[in-house]
Amino acid sequence: MRSYPSRSDRRSPLRKLRTLGIALTAGAALSAASLAAQDEPDPAASPDLFLRANKVIVSPGKSLDNMGLLVRDGRIVAMGKDLAAPEGAQTIEGEVICAAFIDPWSVAGVDASSARSDRVDTASRATDALDPYGQDEVLDDLLASGVLMMRVEIGSAASVSGVGAVIRADGATPVLADAAISARLNTPGLDPVSRVGQVDRLASALGGAKKYADDTAAFESNLKTWEEEIAKKETELTEDFKKAKKARDKKVKEAKEDGEEVKEKKYKEDKRPRPPKFDAKKASLARAVGGEVPMVIHVEQALELRELLRVTRPFTRMRMVIAGGRCALLFADELAERGIPVIVTPAPSSPGGDVGEMDPGFALAGELSARGVEVLIGSGATSASASRDLPLLAAAAVGHGLDEDAAFHAITAGPARVFDLQSKVGSVRRGLHADLLVLSGDPLSSSTRVLASISGGKVVHQAGN
Amino acid sequence: MKSSLSQPLLALGATLLLASSAAAAPQVDKTAVKAGTVITLTGEAIPDGVIVIEGGRVTAVGAASEVQIPWDATVIDQPGMVAFPGFVEAHAARGIDRPNETLDVAPFLDVKDSIDPVNFYFEEALRQGILTINVQQGNDTVVAGQGMVVKPFGMTVEQMMVRPRSGVKISAAPKRGKTRATQAQALRGAFDDLRRYLEEMVQRQKDGDDFDRREALYQGRELEGEAAKGKPLACSGWTIDGFERVPRGEVDEKREPLLRIIEGKLPVIMWCATPMDVHAALRVAEANGFTATMTLALAPACWKAAAKIKASGCSVILAGLEDEELDPVTGESIETFVPKVFHDAGIPFALMSTGDANRSLWYQAARCVANGIPRADALAAVTTAPAEMLGLGDRVGKIAKGTDGHVVLFSGDPLDITSVVEHVILDGAHVYDRSKDVRVKQLFDGTRPPGTASDTSGEEDWPGDGDDPEDDDETENNG
Repeated sequence: MRSYPSRSDRRSPLRKLRTLGIALTAGAALSAASLAAQDEPDPAASPDLFLRANKVIVSPGKSLDNMGLLVRDGRIVAMGKDLAAPEGAQTIEGEVICAAFIDPWSVAGVDASSARSDRVDTASRATDALDPYGQDEVLDDLLASGVLMMRVEIGSAASVSGVGAVIRADGATPVLADAAISARLNTPGLDPVSRVGQVDRLASALGGAKKYADDTAAFESNLKTWEEEIAKKETELTEDFKKAKKARDKKVKEAKEDGEEVKEKKYKEDKRPRPPKFDAKKASLARAVGGEVPMVIHVEQALELRELLRVTRPFTRMRMVIAGGRCALLFADELAERGIPVIVTPAPSSPGGDVGEMDPGFALAGELSARGVEVLIGSGATSASASRDLPLLAAAAVGHGLDEDAAFHAITAGPARVFDLQSKVGSVRRGLHADLLVLSGDPLSSSTRVLASISGGKVVHQAGN
Repeated sequence: MKSSLSQPLLALGATLLLASSAAAAPQVDKTAVKAGTVITLTGEAIPDGVIVIEGGRVTAVGAASEVQIPWDATVIDQPGMVAFPGFVEAHAARGIDRPNETLDVAPFLDVKDSIDPVNFYFEEALRQGILTINVQQGNDTVVAGQGMVVKPFGMTVEQMMVRPRSGVKISAAPKRGKTRATQAQALRGAFDDLRRYLEEMVQRQKDGDDFDRREALYQGRELEGEAAKGKPLACSGWTIDGFERVPRGEVDEKREPLLRIIEGKLPVIMWCATPMDVHAALRVAEANGFTATMTLALAPACWKAAAKIKASGCSVILAGLEDEELDPVTGESIETFVPKVFHDAGIPFALMSTGDANRSLWYQAARCVANGIPRADALAAVTTAPAEMLGLGDRVGKIAKGTDGHVVLFSGDPLDITSVVEHVILDGAHVYDRSKDVRVKQLFDGTRPPGTASDTSGEEDWPGDGDDPEDDDETENNG
């Protein structure tokens, strides 16, 4: 197993200070907290941070030897072999530097009742449920194990559960507020007809959202046409106004002579087109259907997955991600062809489980990857603390046939790409956000220690402290 | 039948009895209170002080040697007592028929319609020296409705009223059946709905204007009046750009209170049960521009968000003094004295009565002093601080020239556990006298009010009061 620092080691200096403070008096607690706050560099005004390692893993499969990295204002501003630490910079050295691990499927940092809820809908947002207070212990553990970012979702008991977010473990702060819409097709204990019915309901929801999006687009184009027409008409009317006024003046005169009332000409024009009635749920789901955000669907069994792949074919712009996918090997070719990534949670096979004899166990990630499916590795959103084991899960997948670079991709660059964060995190490049790890060895080795975690340019964990 | 009719009547009777001396009192237009000590909360306490109240307002306060008492004033002379401005309750969901916790978003409701002037709560408030109360809807809600500041004396809500529409109660903590995510969603939905409604309204108005202009062009008419000028209609009530042409009166009255909130004209009291709720509260306030007019009502656990609150500039009302949590490693209990955290952080805070009378404002302030908060700051948290939050800083919570004519005469120091409220002067009227307080008297005498069953003179028998043998049978049968 990966060696974790002991329980007391893992408690960050801030926590220790605070707990101590509270134990004394409330007043001391506050001064202790403010003391700790001074220890923590403010990313906006922090001094430079200089990192050096014998090996920097720039991206999966590509590394540079003996490099220095300069971090300023939360970003990587310089990289180079000859780079020296500027004066006053905090320096951290280690064996390996790599991008921070990202758990693509997690509930860490989310209020527990929202995470488990069955009452959410597509317009609910995970960012509304972030709880940096209730889970600070868990979040501290994540910092110590190098999992500095998670894609979180809420409503694990609901079939469609709204907008998930990518958050930093440090303070449960959002990096991307709308990372994905998530849905589930794995309600246990249903008969096959109901299971297919579940897929159909999801399909009809997607269809409804698509119609809504189409109607909205049609309205927008109609509106544009109408506005152009009206503008044209207005110009014409303005030009013809003198003539019209003359004609009217004549009519008024005539009417006066005859002692009648003036009959005005009836004016007609097309009414402004009306937008479709606003529907927050459909509007939210429409973003997934239109490919604006990915759609993560948790599905384990072959029946649901086959149906899902069938009914989603018309939604060509939707970027689907399969989560779970114990039986995904059966559909590997289609998944590869349609470019649908699978978030795998490496686990031993359970012949008596949902997918029975077909369960490939730990080998799933390796076999999917070998057949050309993009594999992400996630902790499965079962509990907040599950995310802590993410690097171990990736290592387990390597132990069962997943290529090492693919495994590293599955918890760094992969999640960053799938959830549209590759321009910010997931690799080590100049200009990217400084979400980095300084390690004592290979990132996926169980004996490697996280020497320092840097989240958004801030040192949030250092071994031995 | 008998019981259901006469019980409220009895309660009314008791209140009348209590207040009998004051029934005609509002006609007294000059009152002078002489006390051994006058705590004004504007400076040092005045020994042998005098407070002169004319027409319901304080006109003079100072040492007896300096203040001239008008010849025709009624003088209340209590050399052994301490005069005090009276406590201010920043937030209470009591004294009302039932807090609105049914409808999710109901900003159009008003506690004015549910305040019950004969509720025992108001009688008890007088007894505790609480003379200004911000009555608000309950916490189990999304947007609950508007509150009202009252004084605990009067036969009608109008008589009790100090300030109507004192603020809207909103909850950032989940209402029953909701989660934090869906609560925030409901709140956001309420304000988004309003935005869309207003935008539609503006669009409709604009479309109408445009059509009129084109029609006139087509017909060869010159436009007349306001429309021709393209200027705002007679509507200057807008503080939001782009709304000038929409008549204010056209806004649906059910939505109007939310509009007043985003305009900053109607304060918000935001309930938070956990520190993460504080984040949610600040998010919704920020998004809708009412951070400056928001006061946070906080459960004890919220002290952890103190830094966030300090940065927002919001004032807080503290529902409860201590927060207890268990250390996740050792399992030992960690207690935090919450007001001290806010005091040390420099956040304006008000205390709040919780539960029974023993947790009244004087007790809360006394606990603060016991836990290291300077006495002046502890007293401010139950007087001037809540008064400021309610926008009544120049009227209540202190005794100075021009403030409302409220004086509480304590038997000793207001924060002393052995002190009691002996007299209350409200708007210059002597409305409470402990020596005539029927309920206190009966409590100490061990007697029961006439008409209750254990009264040995027993003219009346109350079925179901547990005193008759048949009652037991009934209970058994029902069980």
